[in-house]
Amino acid sequence: MTPPVTPRAPRFGLALLRLFAVQGSYNYERMLGLGVGVAEEPLLRGLPADGATSPYRGAVARGAHFFNSHPYLAGLAVGAAARAEHDGAPAELIERLRAALCGPLGSIGDRLIWAGWLPLLSGLTLAAISLGAGWTAVVAFLVVYNIGHVALRWWALREGWKHGVRVASALHHPLLQRGAAIAGPAMACAVGVALPLTAQYLAAPFGAWSRAILAVAAVVGFVVIKWLPGRVTGLRLALAFAALALVVGWTWL
Amino acid sequence: MSLEQFLALLGWGTLVGVDLVSVPQMMIARPLVAGTVAGAILGDVDAGLKIGVVFELLQYDILPVGAVRYPEYGPATVGAVATAHAAAGALGLGLGTVVGLVTGLVGGIAMHQMRRINSRVVHAASAALEAGDPRALVRLHVGGLLRDLVRAALVTTVGLGLAWTVPPHITGVLTPRGATLLAVAAVASALAAGAAGTIRLVGRGPNLAWFAVGLGGGIIVAVWLQ
Repeated sequence: MTPPVTPRAPRFGLALLRLFAVQGSYNYERMLGLGVGVAEEPLLRGLPADGATSPYRGAVARGAHFFNSHPYLAGLAVGAAARAEHDGAPAELIERLRAALCGPLGSIGDRLIWAGWLPLLSGLTLAAISLGAGWTAVVAFLVVYNIGHVALRWWALREGWKHGVRVASALHHPLLQRGAAIAGPAMACAVGVALPLTAQYLAAPFGAWSRAILAVAAVVGFVVIKWLPGRVTGLRLALAFAALALVVGWTWL
Repeated sequence: MSLEQFLALLGWGTLVGVDLVSVPQMMIARPLVAGTVAGAILGDVDAGLKIGVVFELLQYDILPVGAVRYPEYGPATVGAVATAHAAAGALGLGLGTVVGLVTGLVGGIAMHQMRRINSRVVHAASAALEAGDPRALVRLHVGGLLRDLVRAALVTTVGLGLAWTVPPHITGVLTPRGATLLAVAAVASALAAGAAGTIRLVGRGPNLAWFAVGLGGGIIVAVWLQ
């Protein structure tokens, strides 16, 4: 028995390039759907394209349906759906596959990137700047972050294409599971280190009284945000503090 | 701010605004990066770093999941750095933060409105999309990208406009102590938002212990350096 042959992926690099703009037409109706469809389209070009109801056109239409996930992991769905189209999977199965991937890809991506890799590196950069590293810390942040970012996008697209409708197995890859498990504690520790160092860095030009006011205001602000979550955000608190400071500074000082 | 610097900041702010969501999400939209480069354009990297740090802390308060609405601090940081450069010292830090907050608010509203426009455009083109027309699909997507580009440029223009007009009206009105109080308010709210946002990310699980370890280590280093 001959093993199944992996179809050659047409324009694989173009699909990856388009994935960088997957949220370019973000909207409340299809969310990332259009971007996913645009990224998937180069991978569908090998399908029969003659006529208004050709497999190619049907696949393009399906590719642009509602989709939402973490943008860096959207490639898994793009690759998997395109491979499933080439393998001749039924349209309903591909629709179900896309719908089933939204939640896990969003959840894993948010934990791995938005709540892990990004704040981890941001915290380390804040600490480094506070210790005098200057702009070089910012350059290091950009380089290191994007090594992980580009690698993840590339890996996601390749894994999606490799597994097709069985893409769920890729979600158990050690890269995702261990990465998310390590990134959380590392992020917590890094930002924990950064906060006092950053406070010292920003408070350096202030005198003793100003530092005392700063400490009290920061604690009050923290308690208010924690006490009234959703109603008091960082933006609202900062605008309120600034307005108060302007009034006091204008009238009394 | 010279015309060349204004144009360079406008271009940079636009790139930063587009990077946040549309393309390529390489995190030049992070305030640390946006602020440092804006500072370099103005020949004032120190102001760029300081403002960048303040807005990076404020950014911790935001978790960009799903269709959540949030202020846009990238182009806002560019406007804030331009303000801080125009009004140097403590006033620059405080006033820059205020300009950045207002610009960030405008950016968040603009992003929400743009997504609503995108929704209407996509809805109107449903027939072409359901027919699997690849040209219509790409055209709609590129249209969305261009709308975000224009939006980012407009938001940056608002920030730079404020940076140009606000400092002359405030300088001289606030005493040095008043300017310091404004800077203290900016830093305090940034630290509060940064800490609260981090605690929300960390949660009550085992990561909280790691946060405490880091915090303790940071305090020891801060005291030791003093």
